[in-house]
Amino acid sequence: MRDLLTPTTQHIRAPKTAAILRTALIAAAGFGVYGFTVGYWRSPLMGCYVAVKMPLLVALTLACNGLLNGLLGLLLGSGLGFKQSLHALLSGFAITGLILASVAPVTFFLALNISGPDSQNATTSHSAYLLTHVSLIAIAGVAGVVKLAKLLESYTESRTISRATLTAWIAGNAFLGCQFSWVLRPFFGSPSLEVAFLRENPMRGNFYEAVWRSFERVISEIDLMWMVLLILLGIIMPIFLFHIRNQIKKAKQ
Amino acid sequence: MNQEHAEPNATPPPLNPTQYVPIPKNPNLRELFEILLRRPAQLAGHQVCEEKPTLLRFGLIALLSILVFGFVLGTFAYKDQLWAAPIKMGGGLLFAGLICFPSLYIFSTLAGSNASAARLGGLLSGMLAMAGLLLLGFAPALWIFAQGTSSFGFIGALALLSWLAAMIFAFRFMRVALRVTGATQTAPLVIWSIIFLLVTLQLSTSLRPILGTSDKFLNTEKKFFLQHWCDTMNKSLKP
Repeated sequence: MRDLLTPTTQHIRAPKTAAILRTALIAAAGFGVYGFTVGYWRSPLMGCYVAVKMPLLVALTLACNGLLNGLLGLLLGSGLGFKQSLHALLSGFAITGLILASVAPVTFFLALNISGPDSQNATTSHSAYLLTHVSLIAIAGVAGVVKLAKLLESYTESRTISRATLTAWIAGNAFLGCQFSWVLRPFFGSPSLEVAFLRENPMRGNFYEAVWRSFERVISEIDLMWMVLLILLGIIMPIFLFHIRNQIKKAKQ
Repeated sequence: MNQEHAEPNATPPPLNPTQYVPIPKNPNLRELFEILLRRPAQLAGHQVCEEKPTLLRFGLIALLSILVFGFVLGTFAYKDQLWAAPIKMGGGLLFAGLICFPSLYIFSTLAGSNASAARLGGLLSGMLAMAGLLLLGFAPALWIFAQGTSSFGFIGALALLSWLAAMIFAFRFMRVALRVTGATQTAPLVIWSIIFLLVTLQLSTSLRPILGTSDKFLNTEKKFFLQHWCDTMNKSLKP
């Protein structure tokens, strides 16, 4: 377990099938345990469904992008072959899975304690529950990516190569992973909808079109003045933050 | 004075065995696939690149990959597109390669390369094989989206992005390969890359419909690709 949380270059240099399978099993178990607590709030059956769907989401994403990840690993000069790329990515997911599994008792406790889906405060509880899990998944995901970045840095010849490989992998997997999360929905189980493994016609529609429609709805309700203000803020804030960072760097020197 | 100057005729250090792997005399498909991805520069400078079997094997990799990619694009509309889209994509790629080959010879010579026509043929088929393999990598993701959306704009943009990403790596391979054969100038290679890209983008319009459905196999109306994209951007497969 400790080896998996702090992987070394030896870990991916010559991966054996047994090692890859072990990493995959640990990742699946981690996501499965956490997934159960995600769905449990809606109903125990939903918990079982999500315990299957969360590992399935990772497996489908890696399976569909397997060839692309391997090709990008080779073409960007990381020196990682197909098997090695798969093992490196699985290690990242296993770390995320282990972190999530470690907080599963807490999220299970949370599911038991907040107002249930049949209560009057169901909508508020659902929103709070959703936000908590999204934050936890984001934190665990970032931790997995950071570990993967360190692993790649220690394996590849230069930092530029490791960053390019990591960026390409994340971009490809995140893009497809979002769509798979759409296909495999529901995960949190809306209080107003029936418990189901998948929605009716799961392949219909796509994640990005849904996001775009939501964006259009929000935009149509915002005043022009507010929109201009938001755009200006979006431009000024990064410049301001960049300036502050430079000032801190100068002060340190 | 350092050791290098003290012994000018000293034996050079041995090649790093972990980095240098000799190319076999008559590489099979799997070996070519491996060399193309791992050691493109070594491949470009090797005799094997001028041989006919290499050209044919790279051509086969490119053609099979593009046929699978075309089939995946065909699953957006199904019906006749399941066979029409792969044929159009495969034929289009072959046609683009053929009509751009003379300009590749001229521009590579202008760049300073001394590669023969046979070697350039091998390199071009290698470039197309690399693009094809990347498109094959994008195919599963594209299929997932093709099943979920009916928007021409969305699936078209996705296919175009996949094509551009594949072309970036393919052009990089060509640049590395031509440098090995003596090319020193970058501008002629950039110009040729733009020409090739524009030809393939125009073919996506000339061979239309590739995504949508039509009574005819080919649409004879002449159109520039940007105009075609603008016209179909907001259209949907379902009326």
